[in-house]
Parts: sequence; structure tokens; C-alpha cells
Amino acid sequence: MRAAVVDVRGLRVELDDRPVLHGVDLKVVEGEVVTLLGANGSGKSTLVRAAVGLVPAAAGEVRLFDTPLKAFRDWWRVGYVPQRTTAAAGVPATVREVVAAGRLARRTPFRPARKADRVAVEQAIELVGLSDQANRSVATLSGGQQQRVLIARAAASEPDLLVLDEPNAGVDKRSQEAFARALRTFVASGRTVLLVLHEMGPLAPLVDRGVVLDGGRIVHDGPLPTPSMTLTGPPDHHDDHREDYGAGLFG
Amino acid sequence: MSFLDYDFMQRALIAAVLTGLAAPAVGTYLVQRRLALMGDGLGHVALTGVAIGLLTGWAPVWTSVAVAVLGALAIDVVRARGRASADVALAMLFYGGIAGGVLITGLAGSSAATLNTYLFGSITTVSADDLWVVAVLAVVVIALAVGLAPQLFAVCQDEEFARVSGLPVRLYSMLIAVMAAVTVTVAMRTVGLLLVSALMVVPVATSQQLTRSFRTTFALAMVLGVVPSLGGVVFSYYVDVAPGASIVVASLIGFVIAWPVGSLLRRRNARSLNGEDPRVTGAHVPTEQHPHQHDPACGHPAVEHGDHTDYLHDGHLHAAHGRHYDEH
Repeated sequence: MRAAVVDVRGLRVELDDRPVLHGVDLKVVEGEVVTLLGANGSGKSTLVRAAVGLVPAAAGEVRLFDTPLKAFRDWWRVGYVPQRTTAAAGVPATVREVVAAGRLARRTPFRPARKADRVAVEQAIELVGLSDQANRSVATLSGGQQQRVLIARAAASEPDLLVLDEPNAGVDKRSQEAFARALRTFVASGRTVLLVLHEMGPLAPLVDRGVVLDGGRIVHDGPLPTPSMTLTGPPDHHDDHREDYGAGLFG
Repeated sequence: MSFLDYDFMQRALIAAVLTGLAAPAVGTYLVQRRLALMGDGLGHVALTGVAIGLLTGWAPVWTSVAVAVLGALAIDVVRARGRASADVALAMLFYGGIAGGVLITGLAGSSAATLNTYLFGSITTVSADDLWVVAVLAVVVIALAVGLAPQLFAVCQDEEFARVSGLPVRLYSMLIAVMAAVTVTVAMRTVGLLLVSALMVVPVATSQQLTRSFRTTFALAMVLGVVPSLGGVVFSYYVDVAPGASIVVASLIGFVIAWPVGSLLRRRNARSLNGEDPRVTGAHVPTEQHPHQHDPACGHPAVEHGDHTDYLHDGHLHAAHGRHYDEH
């Protein structure tokens, strides 16, 4: 039996005194690729944010790599891609500078970067196909390219687990494909992925298991839902392109 | 140069160099974090500290450091809570700082002229004791801003990501606030409390017109902080104006010169690096004005592309799309 990488038990989360998750259990084991799906406000984003410690649990327990979240120190093992529309902040920064921030989990303050750190940063940039753009300011990149920068930043610590919050939102097709390729490389080395997705797109063939949330509860956990059982309720006219949908999921 | 013969000018110039380096160094992080006005608020709060010094007879340098640091920590706590009312709470802290300062100065029996030297700087008032304090504080601030640059960069760029990297984000966040507070005090004698924020923000704004990396923005901002600081102090030696005003005006002139250069650079950059090749991104890129209709007889080579035909035109592939052509 493979070891649990993410182990969430009975998790309740309240944001501004409003319950968002009502007792959720989720286990992701080594080497698995698990996707959280669900409508807006279903709590899928909150679940991954709680799993990495960004929102506190009102009740229940979160364990990463078999360690309670409070005692977890090996943060380099987790590569996190937050939900963002941009990788830029108030001051210009190059692709390489932003990606290098992902390496800090492995670095000591006041010590210069070692060769291994620099190599890992270049490899992460190459993984997402942005080597040619490494010296460009992130603010001048397209939305999809900026999203790839955030993925490279998460990969720079050479993590064992990638946690991605809607990495494909508003991303052009080429970036989605570049991302799918990067993820395939990552998964091929036996590492684990937990991601929140709005639509499967080119990632479908990589995903082992889909977990569907609705109103803060898990309503489906297992193989991906088939077209006849949609993510948000019974089929309606939006599901007319059902053949495309099936092809996207399993093709 | 004659002004170098005076001890007070030597001290003022040393203080100007240290301020010119420290203020943009901290300011870069504040701007990156989109907290450009924080220095302004801290200047207001520090005024109460100065007034406490005037009232009690303790050195205003120390009392203002103490009060500004407390104010910075309060701001950071309010900011971290992230409540909707946070900006109102901060505004009240700032008004309280300046009103308290004026009130306590009045109680201490000091004149408005004394207060002015703290608000807008004064080159004749940097004492040898002050200079030591300023020098030590400024060197510590600059050393931290440079030495912890990777960590502070990460926290200011994306706080949530930094937390999931295991960085002590609260600690670094408070450190930046305290560094800003200390810088305000360092700058008190040269640019003054009301204008210190300009020296934290304007050199950074000027610098980023010309740069594309954090590292060069940071370094250039420090240069762009020192030059107007020295120039402003020297100007105030010849013309009797508060150095704060001349430093900030000099700094703004730098920005006015850099801005058109920056927008030219950006435009050229956008043209030469206009995204990725549309043939691989699949994006919809209409061609510019097109003088004629492509057809097999137009002279442009035809290229089969899936279900349609593209025409090679000046190194671009054009495909008919409704009434215009797309780049393929």
C-alpha cells in the first residue's frame, strides 16, 4: 500500500464565520493525480488552501507526508500554485527571479544560492517551456505564460507533491498544452499531484481520480464522472457537445 | 568646494547619502507589496515621537524610532488581519500621529519653526550624536534589505506562496514594517517626516521605468535616491529652502525625464516581443489593413493549411476569415 501524501479527515472550515467545508475526508497517496471539481463556491479551492495551511481548520485534521500540518517543516516537498491572474507585483521582476523564489524552501537566509539551486531554477523554467523568456519581465508575458511561471516557481524546490489551484483558468491553448506536458514529466517520476480544475482540457488523460464537491461536501470520489453524470447536476443544454466532452476526458 | 569646510555640511551630506540609500532600498519592497503610502503614514506617526522627545528632553531621534516602530507593528497587525475596515483604522492612526505631534509640541512650548525642521528637514541641525545614530540604523537597514533580498522579495511578491514555502512570513512582514519605521527616523533630518515617503517611492518609480528585473530596479533606485539627496542638500546650502523640498523636487525631475524614455522602451519591447508565434498559440490575430484580395492569381504563394489555403505575404501566412485576413 502506498503512503498517504495528503490526508484530510473530518475537515470543517469557516471563512468569516460562514461554514465552507462540512466534514470533508480526502486522501491522496503517493504517485496519484487527483482532481477536485465542482461549481464556483463548492469549496474546492478552500479545501486545497486548507490542505497547505493557508486557511485554518475549524475542526478535523490535515496531515502532509504523515505529519500533522502544525508540525510539518519540510515545505520544500510541497510545490504550491496559487490561483492568480498574474505573476507580477508592484516592481518589475524577471521570469528567473520569480521562479527562484520557489527555491527558498531549500535555502538558508544570508547564504548565496548554490549551483544546485541555480540548476533547479533553470530546469523548472525549461519544464514549462519558457527558457527563451527567462530574462523578460513577467508583467510583459501573456496570461498563460505568467501561469506557467507560477508552475515553474512551484517546481523549483523539486517537490514531491504539487498542489495547483485552477492552473488553467483563462489560459490559452498552447500554455495549457505546455502545462499538460510539464505535469506529465512530473508525474512520470512517481510524484503526486492535487489540483483544482474548472474544466479538464488536455489534462484529462493524466488524472487518476476525480473528487467532486458540492456545497462544501464531497459528492463523488473515484473515477472521473461520465458525461451523463455532470459535475453540477443533471445534463442540460450546456452538455450538448457531449461527444467532445468524452473525448476531452478520456482521449 | 567651500561648503565642505563646514562640519554641519559634512554631517548633512553623510546623512543624505545614508538616507538616499536606505529609503529606496526599503521603498522597493513597499512598492512591490503595493504599500507605497506606508512610509507616509509612518512619517506622521513618528512626529508624535519627536514631540515626546521635545516634551521630555530625551533625544527626539530615539523617541521617534520607538514610536514609529510601534506604529509600524500596529499597521502590520491591522494589515495582516485583512479586515475591511483596516484602511480606516490606518487613516486614523496617521491623523492621530500628526495631531498628537503638533499637540505635544505645543505643550512642550516648542515653536512651529522647531517642528518645521523635523517636518521638512534642516541641514544645520544634524548633530554629531544624531549622525552616529542615523549611521548605525541606516547601515543595519541597508544590510538587511540587501542580505535578505531573496526572502523579502518572495514575501512581497506573493505572500501566500511564501507561506507555503515555509518562510516565516509574519516575521519578514514585521521586519519590513520596522525597517520602514527606522528609515523614516533616519530620513527625518534630511528630507523630513512629511516628505520621507517620496524618497522611498519616487526613486523606485523612476527606476522601474528603465528596468525589467527586480535586482536592477533595486540597485538603480538606490542610486536615484542618493543623487537627489546630495543635490538637494547642496542646493539648500546656497538657497535657504528646506532640504526636504529640494530633494523631492530633484527626485521628481528624475522621474519626469525617465517616464517618456520608459514608455518608449515599453512600446518597442511590446512590438519586438509581441507574444508567441500565432501559428503555435492558435490565437486569432487579424492582419493589418490589407490592400487586395488573395486568390490563386494574386502572386502570393498559396499554402495548403488543413481545410483552407493560406497565402504567404511578406513572411506571414494570411488566411481569409470573413472580410479580413488572419495571421496563421
